[in-house]
Amino acid sequence: MKNKSLAFLMAATVLSGCGTLRPSIPVVDAGAPVTPGAMRDRDARQGAVVTESRNEAPVAYGAPESQYVKPDTGYAPSAPIQGEEFDAPLHTPESIYESTAPSTPTPIAAEQQTSAVVAQIEPPVLALLSTAQQQQNQGDLNGAAASLERAQRIAPREPQVLYRLAEVRLAQGDAQQAEQIAQRGLSLSSGRPALQAGLWDLIAETREKRGDAAGAAQARQRARISL
Amino acid sequence: MSQQQRTSRPSKGSKKSKKKSSPRSGRWLKLLFKLAVVALLILAVVMVYLDAIVQERFSGKRWTVPARVYARPLELYVGGKLAQEDFLIELNALGYQRERSAERVGTYSLNANTIEFHSRGFQFYEGAESAQRVRVSFTNGYITKLTNVQGQPVAVVRIEPLLIGGLYPAHKEDRILVRLDQVPELLTQTLVVVEDREFYQHWGVSPKSIARAVWVNASAGGLRQGGSTLTQQLVKNFFLTSERSLKRKATEALMSLLLEMHYDKDEILEAYLNEVFLGQDGERAIHGFGLASQYYFSQPLAELQVHQVALLVGMVKGPSFYNPRRQPERALERRNLVIDLLASQDVISQQDAEQAKKKPLGVSKKGSLANTTYPAFLDLVKRQLREDYRDQDLTEEGLRIFTSMDPILQRKAEDALQRTFKGLAGRKGIEAIETAMVVTHPETGEVQALLGSRQPRYAGFNRALDALRPIGSLVKPAIYLTALQQPEKYTLTSYLQDEAFSVQDAKGRIWSPQNYDRKEHGTIFLYQGLAFSHNLSSAKLGLDLGLPKVLQTLKGLGLQRDWPAYPSMLLGAGSMTPFETAHLYQTLANGGFNSSLRAIRSVLNAEGEPLGRYPLQVEQRFDAGAIYLTQEALRRTMTEGTGRSAYNKLPKNLRLAGKTGTSNDLRDSWFAGYGQDILAVAWMGRDDNGQTSLTGASGALQLWTNFMQHARPTSLTQVPPDNVVEVLIDPVQGFAVSQGCAGVVKMPYLKGSEPPLGNFCGEAVKPVEEKVQQESEGGFKDWIKGWLSR
Repeated sequence: MKNKSLAFLMAATVLSGCGTLRPSIPVVDAGAPVTPGAMRDRDARQGAVVTESRNEAPVAYGAPESQYVKPDTGYAPSAPIQGEEFDAPLHTPESIYESTAPSTPTPIAAEQQTSAVVAQIEPPVLALLSTAQQQQNQGDLNGAAASLERAQRIAPREPQVLYRLAEVRLAQGDAQQAEQIAQRGLSLSSGRPALQAGLWDLIAETREKRGDAAGAAQARQRARISL
Repeated sequence: MSQQQRTSRPSKGSKKSKKKSSPRSGRWLKLLFKLAVVALLILAVVMVYLDAIVQERFSGKRWTVPARVYARPLELYVGGKLAQEDFLIELNALGYQRERSAERVGTYSLNANTIEFHSRGFQFYEGAESAQRVRVSFTNGYITKLTNVQGQPVAVVRIEPLLIGGLYPAHKEDRILVRLDQVPELLTQTLVVVEDREFYQHWGVSPKSIARAVWVNASAGGLRQGGSTLTQQLVKNFFLTSERSLKRKATEALMSLLLEMHYDKDEILEAYLNEVFLGQDGERAIHGFGLASQYYFSQPLAELQVHQVALLVGMVKGPSFYNPRRQPERALERRNLVIDLLASQDVISQQDAEQAKKKPLGVSKKGSLANTTYPAFLDLVKRQLREDYRDQDLTEEGLRIFTSMDPILQRKAEDALQRTFKGLAGRKGIEAIETAMVVTHPETGEVQALLGSRQPRYAGFNRALDALRPIGSLVKPAIYLTALQQPEKYTLTSYLQDEAFSVQDAKGRIWSPQNYDRKEHGTIFLYQGLAFSHNLSSAKLGLDLGLPKVLQTLKGLGLQRDWPAYPSMLLGAGSMTPFETAHLYQTLANGGFNSSLRAIRSVLNAEGEPLGRYPLQVEQRFDAGAIYLTQEALRRTMTEGTGRSAYNKLPKNLRLAGKTGTSNDLRDSWFAGYGQDILAVAWMGRDDNGQTSLTGASGALQLWTNFMQHARPTSLTQVPPDNVVEVLIDPVQGFAVSQGCAGVVKMPYLKGSEPPLGNFCGEAVKPVEEKVQQESEGGFKDWIKGWLSR
């Protein structure tokens, strides 16, 4: 959510600054012939330059137009971009390791996460979360944190583990680290609004602990946006 | 004090009796009497003195015990990445014995892709892991099944960690303390039978054997004569030097008597079991049966069987003479002699003896995982511990240090080192090339393996931590990250000019960078400047951004040195150690979250109570989106740029990010790169900072690739952060395409900075006209094919 707002902010900056921003790249006379650079490409496409002008000026979606030369100038970098072609599906598990893994943790984006319940978590992580809960209940916060870090090593990209770790750190009195760990959790919980809201609430708590009322209010606001 | 009174009483008694003797022989008797009094007084004083020594050294803490350092414990769970052969290597290193069925603790059985084992149980920081019998199945390098013996699924099992070393004081005496109740009865029985059959009867000395020893020593001129009691042996080891003289023998006897007066047999036996010298491992002296069991068999003492017990007890007589690794035949003969003795004394049955004698020595191989030293990693552990503990605590208090070291990855790093130098053999000056490598987990910041030199067993200059070298192009991601944080100005497909230029620095010096190939590359896409490591465009970009800005990014990534803001900094004139460099890349690999590299997880005291923990610490330094874009450029470095030769050995569909680095005149060859779960920074160069024949790609990248080939990192995740969109663009000019066509590529952008639409796949079409567009698709494709084949 923070990222989204960041994006809004950036888009706003870009839009407002569009007319005045000059490219930092040296301006090249578009009429001059462009020499293709050395052939570094393994494919056959390189060096190809679109020369025909078939289009109107491209639509700019609030994009930093200024950094692009117009597509009808025929001006292009000396070597084309290589890599995956468009017919490759956008989110294929590409690693042979991943694809042969029968039960690696589900990619976060694939989860249909609606609440912060622990139901979709892999059994080893679930087991450690419950161990940590027991330790916390018994007042063994150090043990709980250590068990949660064990879980984090098994599933480093599972934000619910980071959520719990942030909670325990907060209980231990380390509000600073609690917020940072929650932020890390946020950066991994895209598409999981309930969890994002929970993390923002937790961040609000850490800020309250540190006497940052304004920051806390801001975090609460974010939590509401997430939900 | 009571001892003093006891020893002085007899002398008083004799004084009274002497007064009644006849006057005729008085002169001689008087002299004799005086001499006796003097002798007894001296003896009394000596006894008092010796008693003080005995009491002082024997009461309280008898030994200082070095801290023990453990590797990470192996965690087993379904879905865990672990190859069956690696698991077997670890089980063997932990001294698990293969049997038909894993009934006893410390054994395993193997059946195709399933291993059943009986773990030992262990005290960890967060609690005890109990001993359990578990079945684990493997498929293609992953755990696919984990159950108990009844077949019920088990969520997670943790095996005891491998002991990877100790932190020794200057005298390097090492031991694992055992209590008598932890020692198998067979061992104490064997010891008594072999070394001192009257142990439970005598008072510390056996007059018979003293007489024999004196006689033999006198006649044979100082040849070693055994037959001392266990108490005497203990006294000799514990209190005295190894000098062999009559005086020392007498002292030994007196002290033995004193020891027996104060302490019972069990205490003396327990002390003996922990004190006895059983071998020399380089500079380290192996003391006590607890450590000897680990050192020779990699097994806890409690698990030893008849043939192993017999071997260890047999070695007491001469640990180097009967060294089972150096003198296997001699050791075997001695072992079998002990086994026969046990049978003849009815300690074991004749049948058991025959069976035990058929067994091989069974010592773990030197240099195997179980029996290896890791000086570079231990050096790091020591340095990190010194921030919180005094040296004395580390070498004397028997602390247990739990680290993140992964012995399997460490072994793969060492194997990669061997293969790399084999591959480079014949290159000019390759003998003088040294190397270092740091392996971490990007998402936890834990150090998993460390190479400090070309000889991983040699404890010398730890280059991973101490070689301070210019990092060359490894610095460049900082320039591009600085740029990509300004999406209104820069995207991955912005155009840069790669052309020669000169600038004057603050001191008036002219700086004219050059590309490695001494060519200009004209207009390029921004990401290409990083992927192909072009100096001209990268340096120009850095100057446009401003040196302070780039330095600020470097500090955010983890640079802790003060680099002067000279333009040459942009091309890596600044120096860092491989360890510090790994820290920079750690922040890139962990989504912009900085965490210091940790080697230690927790510390327990000798009693197994928690002492300290080194928790996960993270700090967000960069926007996840900008980091993702930088990573994309580093990923393209691997697929199309200077790192692409890695894919000669690695699977093409493995997504990795990385960067080559070469310092001026080929003095340093660097490579830093990572997958989702493994990050490694490799360095090669000469200790005298001389010129090498290696670039980043021909040197360090080879080591890195050889390592990753066997370390099997997980592919980088393809899930971009919330503020990043992936756009299909044309590969020639970098404009978005409104519809797909052959040749377009996918590129990530921060939201709002996507490129405008171009005409690569034909006219931009409005969604309403979708049908028309589909009909004409064939035509566009033909057109593209047309100019592609031109």
